[in-house]
Amino acid sequence: MIHVRKLRKSYQDLQSGQFKALDGISFDAMPGQVYGLLGPNGAGKTTALRILSTVLRPTSGTAIINGFDVNESPEEIRHQIGFVSTNTAIYDRMTAWELVQYFGRLYGMDSENLQIRMEHLFERFQMNDIRNVLGSKMSTGMKQKVSIARAIIHDPPVLIFDEATSGLDILVAREVLRTVEQLADQGKCVIFSSHIMTEVRRLCHRIAIMSHGRILAEGSIEDIIEQYNENDIEELFYQIISTHEQEKQRSVLS
Amino acid sequence: MKWSNVKLIFSREMRDQMRDRRTLFTVAVLPIILYPLMGMAMLQVSQFMREHPTDIWIVGAENLPESPALVVDGKVNSEFASTKDLNLMHLVASQEGDREFKALIQSFKEDPEAHGSRLIDQLLEEQMARRGVDLAVVIPSVIQSPQLIDAETKVASQPKIYIFHNSAKDKSKIAAQRFSDVVAAWQKTFVQDVLQENNVPQTLIRGVAVTSSDVADKAGVSAAMWSKILPFIVMIWSLTGAFYPAIDLCAGEKERGTFETLLSSPAKRSEIAIGKLMTVISFSMATALLNLLSMAFTGLFVYSRLTGGIEGLSMGPPPVSSILWLVIALIPISGLFSAVALAAAAFARSSKEGQYYLVPLMMISMPLMMIPMLPAAKLDLGTSLIPVSGLMLLLRGLIEGQYEQSLQFFAPVCGVTLLCCWLSVRWVIYQFNSETVLFRASERFGVGAWVKQIASQRSDLPSVGSAILCCIMILVLSFFVSFSLGGVPDSFISFTKMTIAQLLTTVLVPALFMALMLSKNPRKSLRLNTCSVPMACAAVLMAICFHPLFMAFRELVMIVYPMTADMSGFESAFEKILAGAPGIWAILLVMAILPAVMEELAFRGFILSGLESLKNKWQAIAIASLFFGLSHSIIQQSVITGVVGIILGIIAVETRSILPCILYHATHNSLTVLLSQTHSHHVDGSPFLSRMLHSPEGVGYEYNIVTTVVLGTLACGLLAWFIKFPAVDKQQKSSSQGPEGLDAIGHPTAEA
Repeated sequence: MIHVRKLRKSYQDLQSGQFKALDGISFDAMPGQVYGLLGPNGAGKTTALRILSTVLRPTSGTAIINGFDVNESPEEIRHQIGFVSTNTAIYDRMTAWELVQYFGRLYGMDSENLQIRMEHLFERFQMNDIRNVLGSKMSTGMKQKVSIARAIIHDPPVLIFDEATSGLDILVAREVLRTVEQLADQGKCVIFSSHIMTEVRRLCHRIAIMSHGRILAEGSIEDIIEQYNENDIEELFYQIISTHEQEKQRSVLS
Repeated sequence: MKWSNVKLIFSREMRDQMRDRRTLFTVAVLPIILYPLMGMAMLQVSQFMREHPTDIWIVGAENLPESPALVVDGKVNSEFASTKDLNLMHLVASQEGDREFKALIQSFKEDPEAHGSRLIDQLLEEQMARRGVDLAVVIPSVIQSPQLIDAETKVASQPKIYIFHNSAKDKSKIAAQRFSDVVAAWQKTFVQDVLQENNVPQTLIRGVAVTSSDVADKAGVSAAMWSKILPFIVMIWSLTGAFYPAIDLCAGEKERGTFETLLSSPAKRSEIAIGKLMTVISFSMATALLNLLSMAFTGLFVYSRLTGGIEGLSMGPPPVSSILWLVIALIPISGLFSAVALAAAAFARSSKEGQYYLVPLMMISMPLMMIPMLPAAKLDLGTSLIPVSGLMLLLRGLIEGQYEQSLQFFAPVCGVTLLCCWLSVRWVIYQFNSETVLFRASERFGVGAWVKQIASQRSDLPSVGSAILCCIMILVLSFFVSFSLGGVPDSFISFTKMTIAQLLTTVLVPALFMALMLSKNPRKSLRLNTCSVPMACAAVLMAICFHPLFMAFRELVMIVYPMTADMSGFESAFEKILAGAPGIWAILLVMAILPAVMEELAFRGFILSGLESLKNKWQAIAIASLFFGLSHSIIQQSVITGVVGIILGIIAVETRSILPCILYHATHNSLTVLLSQTHSHHVDGSPFLSRMLHSPEGVGYEYNIVTTVVLGTLACGLLAWFIKFPAVDKQQKSSSQGPEGLDAIGHPTAEA
């Protein structure tokens, strides 16, 4: 479903010159699976997901999503995905209903199907009470629910969640995780980025641990645990990242 | 582009803006309340100014004559002032025994020229401030009806009254105006009495009776006034109306985090850009129209209330047709302002930053809007080609009812306006497609880090930024050096020194310095490559063939932008300087060869090499030519050199060598010099020249039409050959390839 090969992204930075946000990452994610992207802040997770959602263009490399290349068919890909990120806020001066309807229309849905789908989603996420509430009047949890409804209104085969539970209270966070699980059960391919290890352990079938734009470990959680002989996933994450940091420092000093 | 998406985005943005209180206030509420409030404030202020009483201190009132009396019972004589003014002028009598006072009168008696001296002024200023008066009037000597000619001295005596006011105080100015009117009326009666006493007819002092009358009809005067005000109001408000929505729709969305949501939707960037642009245009037009309507209603209301109209102002309602013209003109002008504002706002990360970027837009637009308001500004081919100004002048003509004259320039005004609109819309779409614009991270700028980055990231060729920096450096240096070198040189030697100094300091040194500092391979940056002999010959031949066309173009430019009297004077002075040259070789060296070498190294060398990183050779050539034109300070020269620059750019890009460019440039300059130095004895003695040239006005020579057409066709053929069969050989081309299989202008190579 998603095939990423040698994906690179570089930026010009005044302080550090050429900055490699992604340094040739490759991975595959399949339908019905939740693929976890783990990493500390600045690891390159958001850049990778922005490229997959075609908001950014890669410097080199490819990513094929549901048969479409991000370099060649970005418009097609945007029909195939739903993207929820900490950076994808909702409009303050639009009601929940208007916002979901607006994106449904942008996805080219006809009025009848859109109405049925919206009724279903508002029922499912218990959003009927906030139908006519403006974005500026909503709580963070409400906003995240509307954001997810906006992302899945066109029932895409691929879903990308970039730190979707960050800043949410435990109740809403659990609801978001439950939604992700349900979507995977429906056969969707879900990319889930987070730095909360318990969430990753609960949701992800496969994971990639990233640091400084590179994938340091990739595979099923069980495989990685076995490989590093560390049962606690948080400790495992720390071990991989700190080992990489130490190696990096050594190479700089030498 | 899917127009259904554009419509959808436009509808959403419109609804969003209509729910924004700040935008609604600027667009709708402000125009409705602004003009009535402004009108009220102005009426109150003017009423206050007009009805405020003023105190006038009269020193030496006893010196005034009894008939005609200026002051009666401590008040101004009612014969010489209206009842209203009479009540508003309080005369303060002088106090006998006041020492400073007497000193003042004495100083005037002893030295009547003391009036205007700083000492007397200071003394009076102090006295006026201490007494709290607005005006001081000094009558130093007794005024009596004089004999016209003194019998002894044979000179006419003239009594004097001195009026002192403080121009730093408005009340004092009003007092001066009121009292001067009274004195003028009194003086008239005084003169009449004197003339009567001396049996001189009253008509003598008037000499010739002059009668002037205004032949304009009331509607014409009114239209002339509205034609200046209305276009300005519409333009300024369409610009202001575009500001807030542009900032909110780009920078505001980035700030609120909704921009990425929209970018991840299936709408294309161009659809998003056009949808947002249409919204900004709508608000820009609405702001301008509402302001216009509010101003018209307020104006008409005030006008209807003023039964006698405003004194000295023949103001009627604006012609109905003017509103129609304004609404038509509003569409392109709002489009232009909205697109530029949106593109600038797209670059900003926050609303606050957006405001910083839009201030320069206002600063650039204001002078363009002010030009048509100048009394001497008129619509001609030259002004019609200036964006915004041309359109305003066209509107002015149409509102004044000068249809025939205005419609002559309708095509150039529309052409320039539409071209600007198209370029601005392209810029908006480019901004929305550019990642560096949309996802610009906040970056702390430090000169040290910047220099370090430049040094560490130098590549073989300069960057676009370096090229633009070099252009700006050349322009700034040219400005300062041209002033510091002084005016017109007095001899050929000083002209030579001045030219070489200017070329070296403003063109060659910046380009060479930057080539050494900002690129790893200065030789390649300056295009110091060899070229084949046929190619060099072709460049020279092309310059010869293109020359008649450029001379014809020059004539056209001179018609559009005629030379001023100053420039013509400079040209004749310049002719005299050239006459002092040791020979034609010296003139060619200074005016043709040296500028060709230095300018080509800078513009087609360093600058064009840098601009080629844009990956679009035509864009690179156009920008380099634009700056090449701008580096010549006279507008006529700028236009011509700008076009020559395009041909030089093509040669540089296709041959990758500076040599053919220098040869072309030097040949072009030489031919221009030689043509200006051609006289009848040269032409008459040469059958070849007499066939090619003619002298239409007996002064100076031009190419004849046959020569221009034949050589021009040949030149175009040669240029096409240059473009189609680039002179650069395969080996040279591969040596200038980038690391990733792209050539220097970004085309993938065959191997890649």
